[in-house]
Amino acid sequence: MKSKIKKIINNMNLSRVRFWIQLFSFVLFVYGGYFAIDLGSKLPIFTCPYNEQSGATCYLIPLQHQLSMPAQILLGGAGISVIVGLVTFLFWFIFLNKAWCGYVCPFGTFQDWLTSLRKSMGIRYSTYTQNQFERLSKIKYVLLAIVLLAPLLMGVGALGSEWSAAFCQICPARIISPMFSGDLSQWKIDFSTKTSMILTAIGMIFAGLFLVGSFIKKRFFCFFCPMSALHFIFSKFSIVQLTKDGSKCSTCGDCYAVCDMQIKDIADDVKSTNILRDDCILCLKCVAACPENDALHFDIFKIRAFSSTREGFEKRMGLHKPKGDSGE
Amino acid sequence: MHEHKIETPNEKQNRHKAMESVNVLNTLKEGFKTPPKAMDYFYNLFEDVYCNQKALHKDKVKVGTMCIQIPSEIIYALDGVPIRLCNGFYTDDEIGSDFLPQKACPLVKASVGHLSSKNLTDKPDMIYSPTTCDQKTKAGTLIASFGYEVVDVDFPRTKESEISREFFRRSIREFSADLSQKMGKKLSRKNLKASISKIGYAQSLYHQISEFRKNKIVPILGNDIFLVTNAFFFDKIDNWIEATEKLVEELEQRVKDEVNAAGKISPRIVYTGSPPIFPNYKIPLIIEDSDGIIVADETCSSNRMFNDRVAVDEWFVNDMIDSLADKYLKACTCPVFSKNDDRIRRIVELVRSHNADGVIYQAFAGCTVYELEQRSVLEAMEREGISILYIESDYSPSQHGQLSTRVEAFIESLKIKNRNKK
Repeated sequence: MKSKIKKIINNMNLSRVRFWIQLFSFVLFVYGGYFAIDLGSKLPIFTCPYNEQSGATCYLIPLQHQLSMPAQILLGGAGISVIVGLVTFLFWFIFLNKAWCGYVCPFGTFQDWLTSLRKSMGIRYSTYTQNQFERLSKIKYVLLAIVLLAPLLMGVGALGSEWSAAFCQICPARIISPMFSGDLSQWKIDFSTKTSMILTAIGMIFAGLFLVGSFIKKRFFCFFCPMSALHFIFSKFSIVQLTKDGSKCSTCGDCYAVCDMQIKDIADDVKSTNILRDDCILCLKCVAACPENDALHFDIFKIRAFSSTREGFEKRMGLHKPKGDSGE
Repeated sequence: MHEHKIETPNEKQNRHKAMESVNVLNTLKEGFKTPPKAMDYFYNLFEDVYCNQKALHKDKVKVGTMCIQIPSEIIYALDGVPIRLCNGFYTDDEIGSDFLPQKACPLVKASVGHLSSKNLTDKPDMIYSPTTCDQKTKAGTLIASFGYEVVDVDFPRTKESEISREFFRRSIREFSADLSQKMGKKLSRKNLKASISKIGYAQSLYHQISEFRKNKIVPILGNDIFLVTNAFFFDKIDNWIEATEKLVEELEQRVKDEVNAAGKISPRIVYTGSPPIFPNYKIPLIIEDSDGIIVADETCSSNRMFNDRVAVDEWFVNDMIDSLADKYLKACTCPVFSKNDDRIRRIVELVRSHNADGVIYQAFAGCTVYELEQRSVLEAMEREGISILYIESDYSPSQHGQLSTRVEAFIESLKIKNRNKK
């Protein structure tokens, strides 16, 4: 019985399962407001409240807000609210680890849909070279630093109030998310102060880049996402992990070939057991594309929930008996 | 009156090769316990091709390949037939000796010898030569001097770096463009996907057989498997698939009926090193003659052709070509690469998954890369506590006695080890 269930899971059509989970999450988080759903304000995904119908709020908003309190208040009792916020965030986070990105984040899902659009138009995706990859991959930490430092500097009075939620001002999700419920009002530059003007202008550029970028490059934005960087700091504490048994790996690169995030270690690193890297969105496409039994697996509480198998691979890649005599 | 005819060199070559072939085929058919019935297809195929000079692909464009790194998926997609030119005949080895140094690898010498004789049943219309080891690389140019159309396909000697990945992707793209132009046909999403799927299916048949060989009771000899995988070098792929499907079915039944191809206490052997190519099954035959059973191998004439698969994310032509290039480079466990770690891991994994008692490592005298890697593999096996025997051999029919003494002693020692374990 147990082995039967395991077989069904390991043989599943991951991309279809993922599509439905993503669609469900997208509706929940983007249109949750219509159903009076509010899952709070500490979600580890880009579910942006600038879209009035969103079913929850991205944690980066309260985090920036809390950190921007004047230093004396922050170091006094208010510090507790920061800790409570972080704990709530972690509570959500540990259940899914980075699968929040690959399965739940509406902003991620939107990018996958742009990818499907491109695919249906017969246009091939672009990739970064290894050098570009290594350089660009650091940007998300710079953005995370903006998320954390801008409010703190505001709190000690080094920056003015126009710096409040500085990251949100440059975040493309602020501009694009409201569009899902027909609100185009975020496509504007705020001329009230010089700082706001610059920040919102950058935001507009980022939003434009986002639309173009995600069309030609799979998961274009995730690469720069500060939430992804924040996830990675805590990813070890999650109950779900992506693990690899290097002794079974042939370094064939099948996993790398399907990786939206171009993570090279997934194929080439045969020493690490924990193979979750900072750019990973835990979409599990690598597990689905691995032809070696149990070389890659997705674990919940260290129990293998989804493993790579030869059989599953053959099913998903459509390697069946050829029809007709010439195979054309 | 009876007309007296002098045998031509080609006739002599054919006769000698037929003798070599019959020798091996008869041993396989009659020297062991009854082979599976489905093996008859393969025995007959080898007899047809190597004893009766039967051409299999008369009306097709034949694309010769000098090594496994030329993606057969692309050749099939363009309506060509890949013919792997690696050769195992002592007769051809001797002919090739005129062109290469005495100490060169017998496989390369035999391949060169065979092509120099121009006596081929399925003569390749063009040859692609990946620049793998020194001798193969040089052989390509030599073969071109015999009047064949030979195209070098650049192949990197290190595979860990990103440069090498990009390099080989580009190399395979060039190869596809070149072949596509020669065939007057374009690669399309449809034809390439169909051929990837077909080869993938053929590979899955091999993997099913491998599963049977993991059993305690092994239903088929390693030598028979070498013949099956060897047929993939030149057979019509649809026929091969059909015959192998039948073999899989029969083996499944054999497993149920507990038919053992080996003895009760035959030590289980993983075979690695220079590839045994028909009819040079010298060492594999000695192993199974000495009551060993080959349960798996790590060679480019068998496991390496079938083990690694192609995964594609978006089925565009360029995407497929890149994935193919990655598979033929990154997964390749050829000893020409600077590092041999992947190959060692594969051997250890095969020993563990097939519950093997020991490893036999053959290197052809003159096959420098396998000779060189002998040390690192022996060291690794020692670290892992796996018994290993290293033997050097060539294509000559001599030294049989000496080799079998060594193999027998090794297999005997494995038996004693197993007995002591109990």
